[in-house]
Amino acid sequence: MSGVHDIGGSSGGPIDQSQHDVEDWERLADAINSALGGKGLQTTDQHRRAIESLPNYRDLGYYERWTAATEKLLIENGILTQAEIDEKAGEIERRWGGS
Amino acid sequence: MSEVHPHEEVRPERSPYAARIRAMEALLVEKSVLTEAEIQDRIEYMDSRTPANGAKLVARAWTDPDFKERLLSDAKSAARELGLDATHEAELIVVENTPVVHNLIVCTLCSCYPRAVLGRPPDWYKSFEYRSRAVREPRAVMREFGFEPEEGIEVAVHDSTADARYMVLPMRPEGTKNMDEEELAALVTRDALIGVSAPQAPSRAS
Amino acid sequence: MRVRPAEKPGHVRAPDYLKGRSGWISCVLGHFPNPEDVAYGLSGMPEKTLYRVSFRQSNLWDGYEGPDGDRLYADVYEHWLEPEGER
Repeated sequence: MSGVHDIGGSSGGPIDQSQHDVEDWERLADAINSALGGKGLQTTDQHRRAIESLPNYRDLGYYERWTAATEKLLIENGILTQAEIDEKAGEIERRWGGS
Repeated sequence: MSEVHPHEEVRPERSPYAARIRAMEALLVEKSVLTEAEIQDRIEYMDSRTPANGAKLVARAWTDPDFKERLLSDAKSAARELGLDATHEAELIVVENTPVVHNLIVCTLCSCYPRAVLGRPPDWYKSFEYRSRAVREPRAVMREFGFEPEEGIEVAVHDSTADARYMVLPMRPEGTKNMDEEELAALVTRDALIGVSAPQAPSRAS
Repeated sequence: MRVRPAEKPGHVRAPDYLKGRSGWISCVLGHFPNPEDVAYGLSGMPEKTLYRVSFRQSNLWDGYEGPDGDRLYADVYEHWLEPEGER
């Protein structure tokens, strides 16, 4: 196997045809990726590579993988730091009344 | 910024990644890497793309043979003729169902999909089950969606492994001779544009 | 043509299930910077030719359910292809 994402032909069960309503944060994940791409700050290929390299690829949902990959690239490309993302995310969780 | 973001509801079961992407948004805007307007633009871009766009292209192709040829040879240009902006797609290729072949689209490696025309793919298209099984057992997958190609029709699966995005041009169903473009477009579902099913003519009492 | 049965670390766009399999070049899709390098921030130059390759499903899968005419198409870069019969 060349990668955890390379799953064509592997076995799989029935296809769940249910559809969840797209959440605002998922729309945002789409939009930020697209905007960063539009500015030449990241490419589709980089983003795919970043998704494929996630250690918990199989455990994450689709937009969770996208978000994790975007975070990885922003840090890799020196646009944001891990520390500031962690801090800001913590602030937002607290504001939302979460953990 | 201490106020709750304008369009966020607080829901306990939300993914931890929601706060992370909000954090990235806030920081990117703070640092003037992106503006809120740019982000909002992209949200609207995606929200405005729906399978109805694909249905329009199909209905036009069914009624106008020259347009159909243009759609098959240069889909982005053909889309532009109908006011659909597909420029963000690297390459858009429309594959035609015929009495000899039925096409099915998948992206096994990720979830490539003609988003610039059709909008976001359905959850099932992105699922591990679809991505792994569509290449190996397309006919079983289609049966799960309630569709079976007619006897003698071959199935062609397209795995979007590079930057081309694929959309199916289904066959026009029998018994639709008197329908106008709008009525025809209403027959074309998103699932038919992916290839897990095919448009059905509505049964009509004559 | 055959897809190279090679292992390569990093970002690869030739799926495993096609490695070592034989097919036919259906058409040339164009020339693009190599995505496997672009993925790491490199330029991906010089451009590589991208081919649509067609495979017979009954060649790809044991016990494939469907007629011999069923096909699979994938978009494969030139460096992943070799003439059949090599090695």
